[in-house]
Amino acid sequence: MTVAAGIGYALLALGPSLSLFVSVISRKPFLILTLLSSTLVWLVSLIVLSGLWRPFLPLKANVVWPYALLVLSSVCFQEALRFLFWKLYMRLEDVLDSFADRISRPRLFLTDKLQIALAGGLGHGVAHAVFFCLSLLTPAFGPATFYVDRCSKVPFFLISAIIALAFVTIHTFSMVIAFEGYAKGNRVDQVIVPVIHLSAGMLTLVNFASEGCMIGVPLLYLVASLTLLHCGKMVWQRLIESRNQSGSTLR
Amino acid sequence: MAMGLPRLVAVSLTLALVSFFPPLPISLAGEIASIESVPDLQKLMYVAVDGYPCVRLLNLSGQIGCSNPGLSKVVAPIIKLKDVKDLVLPHTVLVTADEMEDFFTRVSNDLSFASKIGGVLIESGSSFQQKLKGLSPDKMFPQAQFSPYGNVDYKWNPTASSIMWKAYNFPVYLLSESGISAVQTFLSKKEMKHKTYTSDVAEFNMVMETTKAGTHNSEACLQEGTCLPLGGYSVWSALPPINVSSSNNRKPIVLTVTSMDSASFFRDKSFGADSPISGLVALLGAVDALSRVEGFSNLKKQLVFLVLTGETWGYLGSRRFLHELDLHSDAVTGLSDALIETVLEIGSVGKGLSGGINTFIAHKTRVSSATNMTLDALKIAQDSFASKNIKILSADKTNPGIPPSSMMAFMKKNPQTSAVVLEDFDTKFVNKFYHSHLDDLSNINSSSVVAAASVVARTLYILASDSKDSSNSALGSIHVNASFVEELLACLLSCEPGLSCNLVKDYISPTNTCPGNYAGVIIGEPSSKPYLGSVGDVSRFLWNILAEKTSVQKGNTTSSCSKGTCSKTDELCIKAESNKEGTCVVSTTRYVPAYSTRLKYADGAWTILPQNTSDAMGMVDPVWTESNWNTIGVQVYRVQHSAYDNAVLVAGIIVTTLAYIGIMVAKSFITKALKQD
Repeated sequence: MTVAAGIGYALLALGPSLSLFVSVISRKPFLILTLLSSTLVWLVSLIVLSGLWRPFLPLKANVVWPYALLVLSSVCFQEALRFLFWKLYMRLEDVLDSFADRISRPRLFLTDKLQIALAGGLGHGVAHAVFFCLSLLTPAFGPATFYVDRCSKVPFFLISAIIALAFVTIHTFSMVIAFEGYAKGNRVDQVIVPVIHLSAGMLTLVNFASEGCMIGVPLLYLVASLTLLHCGKMVWQRLIESRNQSGSTLR
Repeated sequence: MAMGLPRLVAVSLTLALVSFFPPLPISLAGEIASIESVPDLQKLMYVAVDGYPCVRLLNLSGQIGCSNPGLSKVVAPIIKLKDVKDLVLPHTVLVTADEMEDFFTRVSNDLSFASKIGGVLIESGSSFQQKLKGLSPDKMFPQAQFSPYGNVDYKWNPTASSIMWKAYNFPVYLLSESGISAVQTFLSKKEMKHKTYTSDVAEFNMVMETTKAGTHNSEACLQEGTCLPLGGYSVWSALPPINVSSSNNRKPIVLTVTSMDSASFFRDKSFGADSPISGLVALLGAVDALSRVEGFSNLKKQLVFLVLTGETWGYLGSRRFLHELDLHSDAVTGLSDALIETVLEIGSVGKGLSGGINTFIAHKTRVSSATNMTLDALKIAQDSFASKNIKILSADKTNPGIPPSSMMAFMKKNPQTSAVVLEDFDTKFVNKFYHSHLDDLSNINSSSVVAAASVVARTLYILASDSKDSSNSALGSIHVNASFVEELLACLLSCEPGLSCNLVKDYISPTNTCPGNYAGVIIGEPSSKPYLGSVGDVSRFLWNILAEKTSVQKGNTTSSCSKGTCSKTDELCIKAESNKEGTCVVSTTRYVPAYSTRLKYADGAWTILPQNTSDAMGMVDPVWTESNWNTIGVQVYRVQHSAYDNAVLVAGIIVTTLAYIGIMVAKSFITKALKQD
């Protein structure tokens, strides 16, 4: 579909990530490191999952439950990994805080912690977009286009980029929710992240139906907006809390 | 916080309901073509189409055939011929076989129509073959400039359209059966999509080197090395083998001639079943029958069988053979012009069957004792069959002379040639698909070929024994093996089994399965002992099979040979391909290069010799060459309109920019919230 369309699809999937990187992540070298290592960790997790499932592939094309099982197992694995990732981060936070104490510098602020979580989530999102969308995008730079029979209204690459954008959003902000949930022990936040991940994964199975993508993709964006809203609400609450706290200590 | 949990439960339940229930009632429509990798995706996007191209051929004054107009691939939207009305840009036109002749005639006459043609895809499925009564892209009098008589306007091939002799500035591709289904499947998918945003295009990669180099005739392209001359290797064999060392006591020669090359609009689909392969198979059937006859060395005359190639392109085989005879070269050791008493050419003999009787017409070059002898022999042979289902007739007196055949070249060289041409037609061709891609196995009748082989075998025996008495015992024992003939027809005139049939694989290891009976180009230096990699499959097969059939056993032992050499000088190593050990046989079978007498090979390049008045045929020879090319292929795919591509780019930029703005707003919000005190 020519170079213009290829760049367009890449920007659709990863443009907002790029904006986030430029405006937030690139300001602090530590965040860039967090982003890179997070991307690496999640890419490795996807490779491990494909390795585990390799003996069972290819799955039968007309039956849904093997795919549902694939999604379920992958989500469980990644959520477990997310918890481990958070544990690793906590240890790192302790190291950074004690280092700050030693050199008489302030400890990590709330905003710093939120930004680290955001970088981690962005890494997860970018890994997903690269694995599921960018790796298939090379033919989009050629002259031809492709329509899948079951989603015949929209070119394959466009749907792929749109779905990737939704997942980038979901992964980025659910990492923020998860980190805060694990740190504060908030049950709601801890449970809502796997639920969102799992339902987003299951919603992609709706695309199996003929023209299912017309329903599946808007629902996916509904989930993404819910994630964004919940994260925004949670961050707002934390900021108000911390402001009140700092205000009360000052008084 | 307390409100969060019920809300969470509600949301997750709704989502679970939505995710799990819809997939159950909705049936999974259609088949998924499983894409397991990016190359799989590319194969689905770019559908390769199988078929046969029309290529660029050049002569001394210009060029014919088809090619991409420039150096790049041709990409044009596909449209059916009936939908071609007001087009702005060049399109790819889908033409069916029955519309083909009218289409190309119109392209040659109407320049504005021709400018709208970007490329052509020809559909020639079996459904169209029934509709067609005839298709012949050749001329009405093929190779009239070589005729030994004056009437060049006589219409031997009245339904001809001459389209293969014109030049076209666009690529033309004949779709195979699989190609047709690939294109039809691809186009049918379009019905489901929005027709406004996409168009189905065909991409032709048929760039000819002569177009790239700007060499537009044979002389220029041979100098630049962007083309090669047409030609190949003819094969001759003697029954019984000629003792080369004893130069005296040479018997007079009865020469039987046939040709092995055909042509059509499409280089790789020219079986030439009736014209001339039926004649070739009849010759092989006759040789096989005669090989089982005892006592050939006691007969009065020497039989020589000659299979020529390049006959379609200016009688290259005949002219070069006659030239080599004049030069007494190595290729024709044992033969001489003076020894050839009479010639019998077997032309098209595949359509002689009608009402249970096989009728063949004998066209004689001139009235002489030799031709009368041949005609008498044919009559005796005809009568010797108990079933009486073969008839030989003399040609109509109103014919201007012999039909287009190798004997025209022989006559032009030597008007005293006594020859008879055996054909299945009299005043005009009965082959309505002469030199077309439809002259295939379904166009001939194998029993007609068997009948021709039988009558030729017995005629040759009568001529060789030079006895007028029809001693039926000797004649009656000459039988053509009908299953051998049928197997040969399947090997040389179809793609399954094609040249991979057991009969051919017994003698050679073929490089292609589909026999392309197009002469092709002559590769490397022409010689009587050529490098076998430069010799075509059919020529090598003929050399080996004729060597075996005309061989005599010296004693009871057969020695094996490897590397193609036998210990004794009069022995040949046959069946030695594909690392097998060959067999040494005593036989006189040689290759004779076939190429224009106007060409000379020196220092790795071809040069055109100046016109020579002593070579009358060289004066009218077009000197055909074929352009070189890199790859040839056609694929079809779907493209979006450029407005759509630009819209996607703009959408991507907008999404990125909006995200940036949103993040900036959120950042300032948060900073403000933190600073508020």
